Amino acid sequence: MRERFITHFDPFVIPFLVGMAFVLGYCLVAMVRVIAELPKADRKRFLGSLFTPKYIWMNVRDIFLNCLIHVKLWKRNKVLGFMHSSIAFGWFMIIVLGHLEVMLFVPERIRLFYYPIFFNYFVAETEQTIQGSLLMFLMDFFLLLILSGIAIAIIKRFASRIVGMRRTTRLSLLDRVGLYSLWAIFPLRLLAESFTAHISGGSFLTIPTNWVFRQFLGNDLYALPTWWAYSVALCVFMCVLPFTRYMHIPAEMLLIPMRNAGIRIRHPRKGFATLEVYSCPGCGVCIDACPMTVRKANCKDCTVYLNRQLRRGNERRIEEIADKCLLCGKCTAVCQVGAQGPELRVAQRERRKYALSPSYAGINVRPMARAVAAGAGGESGGVLYFAGCMTHLTPSIRRATASLLDKAGVRWQMMDPDGGLCCGRPLMMAGRTEQARELIAKNLEIIRASGCDTLLLSCPICYRIFKEEYPLDGIRVVHHSVFFQELIAAGQLSIQRDGEAKFVWHDPCELGRGCGIYEQPRQALAAAGELVEAGRHHAESICCGGSLGSLTLSFDQRRPMVRNALDNLTVADPSEIVTGCPLCLSTFVRDADRPVRDIAEVLDSRC
Amino acid sequence: MVNRTPVIAVIGAGIAGLEAARQLAALGYEPVLIEKAPVAGGHVAEWNRLFPDMTPASEVIRPLLEQTSGIRTCLDTEIASINRLKDGFNLVLSDGSSLICQAVLFATGFHLFDASKKEEYGYGIYDRVITNRDLEQWFNTRHDPRVDHPKAVGFVHCVGSRDIKAGNAQCSKVCCITAIKQAIEIKEEFPDAEVYCFYMDLRLFGKKYEDFYIKAQRDYGIHFIRGRVSEVGEAIDGRVVVKAEDTLSGKPVRVTLDLLVLMAGIVCNPDAQHYAREIGATVDEDGFLKSRNNLAAITESSRPGVFFAGACTGAKTVPETLAEARSAALAIHQYLSKRG
Repeated sequence: MRERFITHFDPFVIPFLVGMAFVLGYCLVAMVRVIAELPKADRKRFLGSLFTPKYIWMNVRDIFLNCLIHVKLWKRNKVLGFMHSSIAFGWFMIIVLGHLEVMLFVPERIRLFYYPIFFNYFVAETEQTIQGSLLMFLMDFFLLLILSGIAIAIIKRFASRIVGMRRTTRLSLLDRVGLYSLWAIFPLRLLAESFTAHISGGSFLTIPTNWVFRQFLGNDLYALPTWWAYSVALCVFMCVLPFTRYMHIPAEMLLIPMRNAGIRIRHPRKGFATLEVYSCPGCGVCIDACPMTVRKANCKDCTVYLNRQLRRGNERRIEEIADKCLLCGKCTAVCQVGAQGPELRVAQRERRKYALSPSYAGINVRPMARAVAAGAGGESGGVLYFAGCMTHLTPSIRRATASLLDKAGVRWQMMDPDGGLCCGRPLMMAGRTEQARELIAKNLEIIRASGCDTLLLSCPICYRIFKEEYPLDGIRVVHHSVFFQELIAAGQLSIQRDGEAKFVWHDPCELGRGCGIYEQPRQALAAAGELVEAGRHHAESICCGGSLGSLTLSFDQRRPMVRNALDNLTVADPSEIVTGCPLCLSTFVRDADRPVRDIAEVLDSRC
Repeated sequence: MVNRTPVIAVIGAGIAGLEAARQLAALGYEPVLIEKAPVAGGHVAEWNRLFPDMTPASEVIRPLLEQTSGIRTCLDTEIASINRLKDGFNLVLSDGSSLICQAVLFATGFHLFDASKKEEYGYGIYDRVITNRDLEQWFNTRHDPRVDHPKAVGFVHCVGSRDIKAGNAQCSKVCCITAIKQAIEIKEEFPDAEVYCFYMDLRLFGKKYEDFYIKAQRDYGIHFIRGRVSEVGEAIDGRVVVKAEDTLSGKPVRVTLDLLVLMAGIVCNPDAQHYAREIGATVDEDGFLKSRNNLAAITESSRPGVFFAGACTGAKTVPETLAEARSAALAIHQYLSKRG
């Protein structure tokens, strides 16, 4: 290889340099701002993690797997996975190989920023070597890979159903500019490299293309304008990048280390939340996943649009979207970058100023504390069962749970025999964290007074907050489905199998996606009869539609969601729908065409 | 020979169907009553006494049955399918026979809301919780272990009515007054019992209803508590504990009762919806059948030859239903005479 130009420069690299300088400058400033906006403790924690070998390894691995290979997307949709990883990984490899070429053939030029990108323009091939042709082969191979990805992207844009997406986002104007310039970059690179392939050398893709073009063009006059066009396309893409959805590329590279360091959203517009918002690639997977979008309703209230409105600062829409959501967490479950839609919304709700904020600090729980202390009879240990408001409204669950506990010979007592205090989760969901904390303090007093070692919940809404927010060291917090499964496994409960029964388990949002409990209730149910699965289940189960998360959805609006969730549950034609959440239960009972029961009722009837 | 007398299929042999059939027969037509239950009389036949004069229900039903005894009545019969013909309808019945008729009258009535769907009230879970229908049956038979010399009785109004959550937004119209009637009857039966009515509104629109209400308070000492019941629990001795809010005093209320009666509301009859769709008549948003005009033509559907009477278009009282049945008979008469 020898250099063609003594100046090692051509004006066409200027657009590229401008774009590169702009995007790097922008990202640097944005990164400093995000880190500066973190609360002090979070910032310390994050910066510390960057120098801890364990975190460094985690970060490198996660960035490689998620940003380049798109592992999560592969698992979800092979075509989309191939499309994204071919473009991301292919581009990354072209940049790496470009630098390798420069280092190998003209090492003194590695300091020039543009040289690896436009290498083929600046050099002429003098002799063919094994490593040279291997590099060129790889360059052509990855270019072809990217081009195949771009081809799928173009097809997807015009017919998203082919790649398995029913609905995709509507692009903004700048998104379109970014998209079209991205599409243009790689075909232009192919053309540019092909036009100069007889000088710089090439491989299986560029040499034949070069040959074809030479057959009818006959001269090299087209080469320089194509290199210009390639550089301009790069410039346009990089200049619009901060204002388009492609900002997710740099944003995710910071998001992953922060998430690994355990940083959480504390303010809807500052620090980590900004990063979350900008990490959204705007793919729209959450639109199809969202339980609210049944019958094409509420499509613009999905997380992808929340992120977009947060970037635009459209306050009215932000409030609307933040309040409507059921907080089922399915968007996070399907999201490639794990965008925390529910957390972002709750943070937004927390900002709201209410005219009236009742205080619960004055509630006297001493009589209740005394009652449970008396119930324990001075003995420590045992199970304390908190039914909570929803179980009190579905008395058959409370009754079945009590009966199972007695049958298993467990020493237990109820924390709220005459109704108790709210667990605080509904307030948490509504963004009223302070009031929730007051209730937490009150409930803690009662739980401590009982001297129990296990706190049993039959409502996943309660279960989640007791598990996440209550400082209950030494006391095990357990959902009744898990507790009964363990009693069955230990032989304390013997369940008679019903040969006729065919159960389907509905994963309540708070229990499944919220707390990661999927298998224990299924195992317990399998002891009582045949277990079939719903159309979508586990982390992708569909919210019943009754969730407390939504502050604004009316019953009329929820009804199609309930029906959709029921249709999903009955695809395998079960004889009975079983769930572990009193709210799901009472939501389903109204519309179901077959019996709906709580897992405790099912087990109690077969015990 | 071709039968010249026009045949009219009357679906449902409750009071609406019986009254309409009686009138149609008097007008010289040949009505055919189709009833899925083994006996005629519908919901009213299950009731003991009727408001506001405490008339025994049998006094309404018996004459209707006697006067329709000559009319062909298919009991225990459902409709397998309905086809529209050029100038009439062909109904295939569940016994395999087919019925060619010139007009169809829907007198399909209503369904009583399934109170166990409101699980928080504990129907089907607690032994001392019954519905208005169960109580009427007790008045008829005096046999129900759940009603055992109660000292305190509660009535919950609007169970499954005016309740969007339960999928039934409309008012059932007759339960306010039925609750008052039943409360008085309980008080007459058990004079020592305390009786409470938990209501959100009292809609006492009919003749003598208001007097009835005042009488219940003044003469019988029945307690009316304005506020919905939030939940029902069970005490250790099996009695039921009702929690509600007295919205007039703004205080939570807790009462322990020996008997709780749920005033299950009137909801649409799903069979009627099914038949209406088959025949091409419209079903309204509330699930009841949709009249051509809610003011001037309540008994007519949007489809010629298809008529409605009684609670199939919405909750009705007994006199309203009977009046509508007569009106429907006249509407059918006009329709058939116009066709010649």
